[in-house]
Amino acid sequence: MAEKWIYWLRELGTEHNNIVGKKCANLGEMTKAGFHVPPGFALGVDAYDRFMKETVVTDRLLAFLKTFKADANKVADTLKFEAASNEMRKIVESIKMPTDMEETVKNYYAELCKETGKKNLFVATRSAGPASHPGQYETYLNVSGAEDVVQNVIRVWSSTFNARSVIARARLGLPLHYDPIGVAVLTMVDAKAAGVMFTVNPVNGDESKIAIEASFGFGEAVVSGNVTPDRYLIDKITYEIDEKVISDKAAEFAYNPQTKEMEYKELPADMRKLPCLEDREIIELTKIAKKVQDHFGCPQDIEYSISGSLSFPESIFLVQARPESVWGKKKKESVLGKKSGWDLLLEKATTPVKLKIS
Amino acid sequence: MANTSAARFPDPHDFKVPKELEGWEEMYPPQRLFSQDRAEWEKRHFWFQDKIHAPEPLYPLDDIFQEAWQISLSGYTTRVFCIPPAQGIAQRLVGCYMYITPVEPPPPEVIGQKAELFGKRVPFVFQNYNKLWDEWIKKFKKLGGEMESLSIPQDLGNFAPDDQIFPVPRGYTDANVLIESFNSIISLIFRAWQYHFQYLNLAYLAYLMFVDTAKKLFPGIKESTIGKMVAGADVSMFRPEEELCRLSRLAMGQKAVQDILKKDLPAADKIKALQGNDAGRIWLEDLERVKDPWFYVSCGSGWYHYEGSWINKMDVPFSYLKSYIQRLEKGEKIERSLTAISEERDRIVDEYRKLIKSDDDRKSFNDAYNVVRSIYVYAEDHLFWVEHWLHTIWFQKIREFGNVLTKYNVLKKPDDIYLFNRFEVPMLLEDLATAWALGIGAPTRGKYWQEKAAKREKILAAARKWNPVPALGVPPAEVSEPFTIMLWGVTTDTVAEWLKGADVETKDVNQLKGFASSAGIAEGPARVLKLNEDIVKLQPGEILVAPCTNPSWAPVFTNIKGAVTDIGGLTSHAAIVSREYGLPAVTGTGVATSVIKTGDIIKIDGSAGTVTIVKRAKA
Repeated sequence: MAEKWIYWLRELGTEHNNIVGKKCANLGEMTKAGFHVPPGFALGVDAYDRFMKETVVTDRLLAFLKTFKADANKVADTLKFEAASNEMRKIVESIKMPTDMEETVKNYYAELCKETGKKNLFVATRSAGPASHPGQYETYLNVSGAEDVVQNVIRVWSSTFNARSVIARARLGLPLHYDPIGVAVLTMVDAKAAGVMFTVNPVNGDESKIAIEASFGFGEAVVSGNVTPDRYLIDKITYEIDEKVISDKAAEFAYNPQTKEMEYKELPADMRKLPCLEDREIIELTKIAKKVQDHFGCPQDIEYSISGSLSFPESIFLVQARPESVWGKKKKESVLGKKSGWDLLLEKATTPVKLKIS
Repeated sequence: MANTSAARFPDPHDFKVPKELEGWEEMYPPQRLFSQDRAEWEKRHFWFQDKIHAPEPLYPLDDIFQEAWQISLSGYTTRVFCIPPAQGIAQRLVGCYMYITPVEPPPPEVIGQKAELFGKRVPFVFQNYNKLWDEWIKKFKKLGGEMESLSIPQDLGNFAPDDQIFPVPRGYTDANVLIESFNSIISLIFRAWQYHFQYLNLAYLAYLMFVDTAKKLFPGIKESTIGKMVAGADVSMFRPEEELCRLSRLAMGQKAVQDILKKDLPAADKIKALQGNDAGRIWLEDLERVKDPWFYVSCGSGWYHYEGSWINKMDVPFSYLKSYIQRLEKGEKIERSLTAISEERDRIVDEYRKLIKSDDDRKSFNDAYNVVRSIYVYAEDHLFWVEHWLHTIWFQKIREFGNVLTKYNVLKKPDDIYLFNRFEVPMLLEDLATAWALGIGAPTRGKYWQEKAAKREKILAAARKWNPVPALGVPPAEVSEPFTIMLWGVTTDTVAEWLKGADVETKDVNQLKGFASSAGIAEGPARVLKLNEDIVKLQPGEILVAPCTNPSWAPVFTNIKGAVTDIGGLTSHAAIVSREYGLPAVTGTGVATSVIKTGDIIKIDGSAGTVTIVKRAKA
């Protein structure tokens, strides 16, 4: 077991996958490689381990689970799992971190505030499993103040006890009371627009294209599929914008200072059909995406955020990069079939072009 | 194949042209018209207006180039290089405009025979192209030299001169030379047009093959990008403009020359002024040195006699010189950077190549690219030498025939010769030779010819006002003729667009689709140029809308925001030049010049291939 359980992102690289979780390791890798990533730090899986083992959490969870009986393969038992999940999360979130850990997290947060020059800096606390389980665990946005940061780190840990995760572990026959993950604490980008980009055309696997989706506000709107985003298709090589589909974006995901919660806010009518990215942002994102793909050596699925307060191009941040899962894994087979230039010419000369006239 | 009334254009045999055009048929040879005796065959074909070669009504003598390419283009496809399923392109004239059709495929057994010959002949051309080009240019220049040296007597004299008698009588008169020279010039122009297509069909075929290959590897690749990959930077067609840039630089630093060239004077006066000082004379000598061939460039497409060439309309190159010098004085760069263009081309090819995953595919791609690059330069080089250099010589020579016919009152003015077709001009010349031979006082039929000329001029004027239909007959199910697809851009989409244009009142159309020929977006006032000579009306910041564009217009591309054409694929001139200058262009819209009016605010998207009318100009 590693002694160290907390890291600055710049100390991390992909080799730390198992220590801090994939997302943190990747963010670290990107930071080190010089990409513009929101500054932050990461709690390793050992932090989770310490919390679970040095406090009464594990005992209480095990005590609760002694009487818990349900079959993860029975749909009817889902409700039982949900109730258990509620109970377990309540237990986890009611327990304080060991004092030295709490102090350390608060020190890191203070240092981050100093670095960014902001008091009570807004941060996101994001889950990072050692294996990629997109969307399985939870992320909390716009967390501000040392106390809240500590509490939200615990909330992220407790998300390993959400119903989905508990059921998943039950099905695999894994222990229900323990599933260590890392947590990233990242400076929030005050996103005016955000979204996802693929370094391959997701429709046909064409690697000469970058596909960008974007929506107003925070990226969760795009990732969750709650808003139909604008879509852009850009040629990686000529940097021409081949397609621009501006959607009717009904709402943006934004922070409500009153409730201190993130929520969907309806967009005014005159804004809904406006493009949420400028051309220069699209081109800059394309250049960045190309570099990310080159760095990791395979097609990437990248989340980005564009700050509303910083000026271009410092306004563009990457908040996540992972291998694109559909086309990236496909083995590329020959599409031309070992033909010489001459074969291809003969083929063209003998194949009429069909016209479809209706 | 949907042979329904919804998906067709008017039947060419029932089609009526406006009555002001009455009598147009007699201007052209009968084999060039729709006819009842060939009706069954003609009805099976799809005839679309050829706005690339004949955007304007055809003067009978200008029709000779069309006649010549029908034979040449078709013959290379069907009988020489034998592209297996393809046949030739047939032409018909309707109301002084030209319609063309790809001829239906040959019987299956012929396709097999052709495939065999194709396999034997075509690889030879690709493997030896560079050597073959050297031979080609040699013989082509020789042909031009022969045409230039044809003797066309301008004055028959009262009597044959002594030097035709002594020391040995020549044996024939100058009147006879007139007849012979015209026969010779006809033979030469037909031969030149044979040469024109010598490698062009194969260059186009190679291009289409490369488009297919690239699209299989990169489904989303733009044709404009493919165009960039194959385009040559250092090609003859750009030389005239490069010479102007060079001459402008030469003038810089010679204040006297610079000042004269900047003046608002006719070119002739500027030349006179330049002759008045040493620096000017040296500069003129340099101009003289490059004039042939590089000023033998048409002010238009090279297809119409009235366009003129730089060499005989020096005001045109001198106006470009003036603007180049003004720009140089402002410290602007006027030349296209050949290295930058080639480097960008290589970078694009290289980066695409790197994206290919399979080693086999990379090899095929390289192979296909080498095939197209080995010959594609022909598509850009031949244009200067045939349509510009040689046509300039042709027009100058024909004018000499016009002059002598005018001198003897057979015609009213020299250019009226173009109102007679190539079979009729020998009649005029024979009429003149006969009257001269019959002796002093013998009449020609000058009055008859002149009345005919006046009537034809009226018909052509009416034809210019008429908006001909984009197509006639039934659209085909498939096309295998390479030019139809590549040069005229006949695809499912274009035909559909033409059908739309044929059904809809032009004032109701607000968006057009064409080829996404050069990326970018531009919005601005449209300038619709139906006649080449209107190019002078173009204002900076306008979007050029024309049936097609011409190579000698290159200098105006630095002033406009974008270009839209009725006709032309991705390798049309407008597309190539727009990419060079980084201007958005949409080509092959079919109907832009009839739907858009000068002054309309239009928005063109050269990536999507769309033209939108944002705001109509006040009527």
